[in-house]
Amino acid sequence: MFGFMETPPIYPDQASKFAVEYDYLFWYMSAVVAVGGAAVYALLIYCCFRFAKSPANTRPQRILGSNKLEIIWTVIPLLFFLSFFVWGARVWDTAIGIPPEAARREYFVVGKQWMWKVQDPDGLRQINEITLEAGVPVKVTGTSEDVIHDFGIPAFRSKFDVVPGRYTAAWYEPTRPGTYHLFCDQYCGQGHSQMVGKVNVLSGADYQEWKNGTYRTPFVNAAAMAGKATTKGPLDGSPAWRGRLLFHKLQCNGCHFTQSPDDPTPPKAPSLENLWMTKRELSDGRTVTASDEYLRTAIRNPTEHVRSGWKAIMPAFHTGLATELDIIDLTAYIRSLKPGDLPYRNEKSPTPIGGAPKASQGNPNPPAGPDGGKK
Amino acid sequence: MVSTTTMRPDVPVEKLDYTPQTVPPPELTPEQARGRTHYLNADNTLLGWLLTVDHKRIGMMYLLGVTLFFVAGAIAVGLVRTNLITPTGAILELDQYNKAFTAHGTIMLFLFLIPVVPGVLGNFFVPMMIGAKDMAFPKLNLMSFYVWAFGALFFIYQLMVGGLDTGWTLYPPYSTKYSHTNVLYAGLGIFITGFSSILTGLNIIATVHKMRCPGMTWGRLPLFVWAMYATSVIQLLGTPVLAVTVVMAAVEKLFGIGIFDPTIGGDPVLFQHMFWFYSHPAVYIMILPGMGVINEVLTCFARKNIFGYAAVAWSSVGIAVVGFLVWGHHMFLAGQGYYLSMVFAFLTMLVAVPSAIKVFNWTATLYGGVITYQAPMIHALGFIVLFTVGGLTGLFLGTMGTDIHLHDTYFVIAHFHYTMVGGMMFAWQAGLHFWWPKMTGRMYSDFWSRLAAIVMIVGFALTFLPQFAVGYLGMPRRYPNYPPEFQIYNVMSTAAAYIQGIGFIMPAFYLTASLFFGKSAGNNPYRATGLEWQTHSPPDAHNFPATPRVYFGPYEYGVPDGLALVDKLDAQHAHANGTHTAKEGVTSGS
Repeated sequence: MFGFMETPPIYPDQASKFAVEYDYLFWYMSAVVAVGGAAVYALLIYCCFRFAKSPANTRPQRILGSNKLEIIWTVIPLLFFLSFFVWGARVWDTAIGIPPEAARREYFVVGKQWMWKVQDPDGLRQINEITLEAGVPVKVTGTSEDVIHDFGIPAFRSKFDVVPGRYTAAWYEPTRPGTYHLFCDQYCGQGHSQMVGKVNVLSGADYQEWKNGTYRTPFVNAAAMAGKATTKGPLDGSPAWRGRLLFHKLQCNGCHFTQSPDDPTPPKAPSLENLWMTKRELSDGRTVTASDEYLRTAIRNPTEHVRSGWKAIMPAFHTGLATELDIIDLTAYIRSLKPGDLPYRNEKSPTPIGGAPKASQGNPNPPAGPDGGKK
Repeated sequence: MVSTTTMRPDVPVEKLDYTPQTVPPPELTPEQARGRTHYLNADNTLLGWLLTVDHKRIGMMYLLGVTLFFVAGAIAVGLVRTNLITPTGAILELDQYNKAFTAHGTIMLFLFLIPVVPGVLGNFFVPMMIGAKDMAFPKLNLMSFYVWAFGALFFIYQLMVGGLDTGWTLYPPYSTKYSHTNVLYAGLGIFITGFSSILTGLNIIATVHKMRCPGMTWGRLPLFVWAMYATSVIQLLGTPVLAVTVVMAAVEKLFGIGIFDPTIGGDPVLFQHMFWFYSHPAVYIMILPGMGVINEVLTCFARKNIFGYAAVAWSSVGIAVVGFLVWGHHMFLAGQGYYLSMVFAFLTMLVAVPSAIKVFNWTATLYGGVITYQAPMIHALGFIVLFTVGGLTGLFLGTMGTDIHLHDTYFVIAHFHYTMVGGMMFAWQAGLHFWWPKMTGRMYSDFWSRLAAIVMIVGFALTFLPQFAVGYLGMPRRYPNYPPEFQIYNVMSTAAAYIQGIGFIMPAFYLTASLFFGKSAGNNPYRATGLEWQTHSPPDAHNFPATPRVYFGPYEYGVPDGLALVDKLDAQHAHANGTHTAKEGVTSGS
């Protein structure tokens, strides 16, 4: 209920080489500013208390000023401000000075209301998503089809306006694998806040798998917590992979879950691990085989067969909630569940990486075709 | 050099603990006060108000106008902040949100922050502070009010027929080609209110040059007048560029001639250059008058001469001049050239210095004072505390390297609210509370006014502190929907915004109540030195019973026995400040 009560982030991810350089300057300036501000506040507070009107303090002094002090508090701040300027110009120089090795791997970004189209050096296209290899510097060149947008990645401390009629560019050297925010930072109309996406940074091996179409989104399941089995999910873009996203989205793991050690709530519904094609007893005494058809009925009309020992509490997922294709995907996911694979209660699905690059594998965000793809 | 004895006031005055700039008139007896004719009740008819050329009445009409628009802008931001309670938008559709934040920005900037202090306090007190009967061009002054009101009508109309969704910055090609909202009406409103700003600036410059009373040298001008003078110069030179820019955008939108349209060879960044050429100096139009108010309030409640009169006065002029040359720091990321950005970043660091000088001088002014904490003083101290945060965080945005990550995030929102609201809004409150007794002749409730000041300051600080954090985390501005991990900061900000809102509602009650139930303020309830206090409250229709003659600088508080020490003080003052010229400071009339 109070999801936002979880520990809030206080420091943005630092996921590129430039982010480190940026943060040194940021913290230097923060320190100077904090000390300077604290000095002013300390003087202010001292004066406010020391010189408050009181029986002992009734006569103000007549002080007109001091040229010496004026010079001191002109020159000292100026020197610090100039140090900000010089260091800031150097950091800026790093940000816009695209190294030759980055220029060799050039991504193109086109902004339009309200989506990002990204094309990698090998011609692979993604929408609202850019997938990068950790440790490999890349250049990103951008332009816009309509209004001014801004391609901003906070974890890289990078941002540049994407201007119609111009090419603008930035470069990144991602350092830490992970998924980060991509924002449009320049107001561009109604869907400005929808013009967001993901930056996927993959380690070298994962990146190669992703390029080959054999990438599996890692996730933390009960088995992985116990230190056994895989932390890799189904093949990205496969029916089971989509089924897993649906399983979380439809909140199936509100009842069908693995009890986590720190959660006293027991499961409200039977485990689905190793379920497929096994014999199961029903509450009316029948024994059935958990075939695809059985699973479909169990989702569409759960009261038709209730497992013995469990209450008939599952809601019916009619076609408005889950289409036939969705059920095929869910069934594929249930088929794939090995012991330890069932998620914890209300555990969130890890953010999946894009989907397999080949459209034949059923990528839900199919790469744009040569004509510019879907709008 | 004329001997100092000729400067001596020839009217004996009672022992004072301060030295007014001129000889104060005697306090009125209650009978005299009751039957007195003053600017409020002389010709107190509707036409008498609507066609008045009295700068004080025009100031009061501005007060009514800007208060209404402040309420409108506050309602808009109430919607914005409430919507941000949840990551998916609590109450508004995307379009509605975009219109709400645009309404907040345009109304607060063009119809509140720019006119509020020049329109109300500048109109009312610049002539009084320099001992004049009115502005240099009283009819022009009335005209600039009506031009402003006429321009404001277009904003109201634009809101009524569906609003504007471009943000106050109106960047093309979004505003000229893609937005289907009322860009033209809003542009017309900006264009017309701009002329009001130009005319007011012109009037104040002429007034300060030509209308100063005998003895009111430039070195004896209250610093509020210096600040208003610097502001007027910016208004006069900057606003025409905004007008040109808006006309270009309108022509572009109507006829598609392609000045800003890259598809037919135009350049959208050209608009940004022209827009910020006005709009960066415009932030100084908004803050300089506020800084001027702070000088008056601090000196009075600390009973101190301002520390470094010349430094404070010239820092206003410095801000006005250098402030014209820093606009490019809004466009570091818009594809601006490296060396051009370097020049703008360098000048930005220079323009930060005069603001720092002012803060140091204000702090030093308190040293050795006898400080009392009435509402104006609490607001003024709030100004210093909050403006310091606003100024220091501005350094992060003016530095090229750090601007990359912080540009267009909530860090920017927090920064400029700390300067515009933490600065200007609190200066306005300080000024309004300081001069309210002079404007109305009534005192407001001491308790409620202090409480409101504290609620406002605390509420304000807590509203915008979380926004620095969420901005550094990367939350972009103008986002009705945002990633859920930013929610805690937005909830904190909204909660504090409600507290702040309560603070801002309170003066409406106790100030209005003071008009009916407040006790009589007397001529000079704060024992202040300025000329505007050396007359009755409310002032006569022509301000002073007789043309005042100024003998002293504006902030002679720390002097026991007041005028009794004329000779000694005058010698000291002449020595210390060098403000006495061979002409004995008489610059006009006699």
